[in-house]
Amino acid sequence: MNAIVGSAGVILGFAAAGFGAISLVVGLIWQRPALLRQSITYAGLVFAGSLASFVAMERALITRDFSIEYVAQVGSSLTPPLYNFASLWGALEGSILLWALVLAGYILLVAIKFRHRLTDPLVAWAMVTMFLVALFFFGLMVGPANPFTTWSPPVGYDGPGPDPLLQNHPLMVAHPPMLYLGYVGFTVPFAFAIAALITGRVGEGWLVETRRWTLFAWGFLTAGIILGAWWAYEVLGWGGYWGWDPVENSSLLPWLTGTAFLHSVMVQERRGMLRVWNLSLLCATFALTILGTFLTRSGVIESVHAFTTSSIGPALLGFFAVIVIASVGLIGWRGDRLRSPGSIDSPLSREGAFLANNVLFGGFAFVILLGTVFPLVVEAWNGDQLRVGEPFFERMSVPIGLALLTLMAIAPALPWRKTNVETLATRLQWPAWFGGACLLIALALGQRGLGTLAGYGLAGFAAGAAIRQVVLATRRQGWRGFVGRTNGGMIVHLGVILIAFGIIASNAGVESREFRLEIGESGVIEGHTITLVDVYQEDLPRKVRTVAAIQVDGGEIHEPAMNLFRASGRAVPTPSVRTTWTNDIALSIFPVESIDDPIGIRAVYQPLIAWLWAGGALMAIGTVLSAFPGRRRKPTDPTSAPLPERAPEGASS
Amino acid sequence: MSSRRGLLVLSWGLLGVVVAVVLAVGTLGGAEPTPAERVRSLSGQVACPTCAGQSVLYSDAGISVQIRTEIAQRVEDGQSDDQILTALAQAYGREALLTPSASGAASLAWAIPGFAAVVAIAGLAFAFWRWRPTTTEVSDEERSRVEEALREREVDGGA
Repeated sequence: MNAIVGSAGVILGFAAAGFGAISLVVGLIWQRPALLRQSITYAGLVFAGSLASFVAMERALITRDFSIEYVAQVGSSLTPPLYNFASLWGALEGSILLWALVLAGYILLVAIKFRHRLTDPLVAWAMVTMFLVALFFFGLMVGPANPFTTWSPPVGYDGPGPDPLLQNHPLMVAHPPMLYLGYVGFTVPFAFAIAALITGRVGEGWLVETRRWTLFAWGFLTAGIILGAWWAYEVLGWGGYWGWDPVENSSLLPWLTGTAFLHSVMVQERRGMLRVWNLSLLCATFALTILGTFLTRSGVIESVHAFTTSSIGPALLGFFAVIVIASVGLIGWRGDRLRSPGSIDSPLSREGAFLANNVLFGGFAFVILLGTVFPLVVEAWNGDQLRVGEPFFERMSVPIGLALLTLMAIAPALPWRKTNVETLATRLQWPAWFGGACLLIALALGQRGLGTLAGYGLAGFAAGAAIRQVVLATRRQGWRGFVGRTNGGMIVHLGVILIAFGIIASNAGVESREFRLEIGESGVIEGHTITLVDVYQEDLPRKVRTVAAIQVDGGEIHEPAMNLFRASGRAVPTPSVRTTWTNDIALSIFPVESIDDPIGIRAVYQPLIAWLWAGGALMAIGTVLSAFPGRRRKPTDPTSAPLPERAPEGASS
Repeated sequence: MSSRRGLLVLSWGLLGVVVAVVLAVGTLGGAEPTPAERVRSLSGQVACPTCAGQSVLYSDAGISVQIRTEIAQRVEDGQSDDQILTALAQAYGREALLTPSASGAASLAWAIPGFAAVVAIAGLAFAFWRWRPTTTEVSDEERSRVEEALREREVDGGA
């Protein structure tokens, strides 16, 4: 029953996407508006299909219908309801199912939003593009990644449940859907970019129309990445939040190009420049989401996230190639129309700063992509196995990060067109002193090292610049000084700066200690006393749970645990973290033979970890504020520099 | 005007001195890394041989614990970072190190970003050079046309 409904849903989505694309193309070529108006119906059918298959899979998981192989693989009668629900996206086929649902949702929303303009070729071609993307993902489920294959389970069969790591923390419920809302959301601006190229309407119209779609996709991706980091921090038990794992990298790549796009799009809207660049960035962002999916879902890269080796690798790689070739081909074909009317007057201008920002983000994305695929390329070339890990990425990202902080400090004070050094020096005076104060405080608090101190100083400088902008805007416009792209963007910047402080401080001040304690004994880490109060074991249906009750600084009791899963023999820690605004102490325990032995405890002390999550929340708030219409120029307003003053008689200009 | 300008120069100059002093104090007087810091940094540079893509620092696999202990032992014995990494590469293979080596094909991982940085900076400089402002002559007729258009807009839009 579940399998039949689910498969029917998949086939409905596949067929509706296919017929939708065909009928739209026919309608576009033979100019039949009636056919174009049907796209909303097809969008509804695609969504209905994906929803039916999603609901069928959830129903199968909840009713433990083990006749579906996927449920047999990730389901178990013992999984708690929340994680059982979330196990839909815990493995390959289900994650494609979620992807299809999110994509279908976006397609339907676009169709509804543009329902009065479905006959507009720009919208119609965008719908075609999205239907084709949907066709690909439903095609995966019809073919190599069918989530509804059935088998005959032996009587009394019970599945192993999702990977233990995936049923350890509620964040697992929120992190993947957020990430997918972000990943898939970039399909919308990508589709409009392709449509703009096909119709030749490469002006600024399509950009303005997809502005909020891009912003929300970016916001979801940001939230997804930060929730992922938080999950890793809370669950993996090594006190780290970012490991430069290929999967983390592949979520960061589209984020970097998407961030670059959000900035450079303003140059195009305002000055009509960078058209080719913006189109390329959007296409690259979408292509990178597919490449990332390929890298992590095909098993070519080993990673803590990688799902089992699957046959969808070639399909994803082929799709990636199609996207790249189509994008490059279309941009080349429309090259003549893409020539920009404007030009940059001076490096010391807002557009100059955005350009530098784009070079940095582009470069950042490039080195991360390089580090991620380099081992693959070398192995394919001469069979050498080598690794590119954290030390490489850190050495690359520190200078780029510092350069980005510098730009964040200067750029908000730069006007469009051009300025002079004196104006800039006046505007930046207080932000710079704010940075200087942060530097002094950091030194006084015992922070050392050039990179660390420069980071604090520049982050403070950038914070000062953002605060100055918000203060000026609220003074001028009241509460409206918080909304709109520019002002909301400054709130996002403040969030980024909080995260920068968190990253700098936690990297500079991390301290980890391993103790072996008997009940009643204490250890000291960075001036904090941890005391083992009690140890006990719980015999649960699937696992043996060893819990250590640990008191931190004579105050609250924390209970990190070690779960030994009987079926797999795997030991999975459940760390416990003492969080304050100034520092975190993450406690985890090592596997134990007997609870009468001394317990191995690892304590990881890191300053300002909470700032990472607060910064993430601030970024999300800033994104929402940016989406509200601020006091903006009309898109038709002229943007030209003031005329040069009329030269006095006789003087040469 | 000129006194404001003087203050501005003074303010930035003072800030420059403060920053220079702080950075000098914070960098030059830097203490040697403690043994614990060295063990942590070295563990982060070695891949756990049995797990997927994690470093020894972040893994509790038996072999990782063993390598961490070995690193701590070697640090205690007074070996330098390079010596320790070389020894580990001999014991567990070159692929055990997470840092690409500076020779052979692996060195491209370092060379390509360097090359990219040069290209990016050159490209940016070229873009700014190409977009040098060109001085345009504005005739009186054009001026009046612009003024008229702006006036009309104000009437239309109510500003």
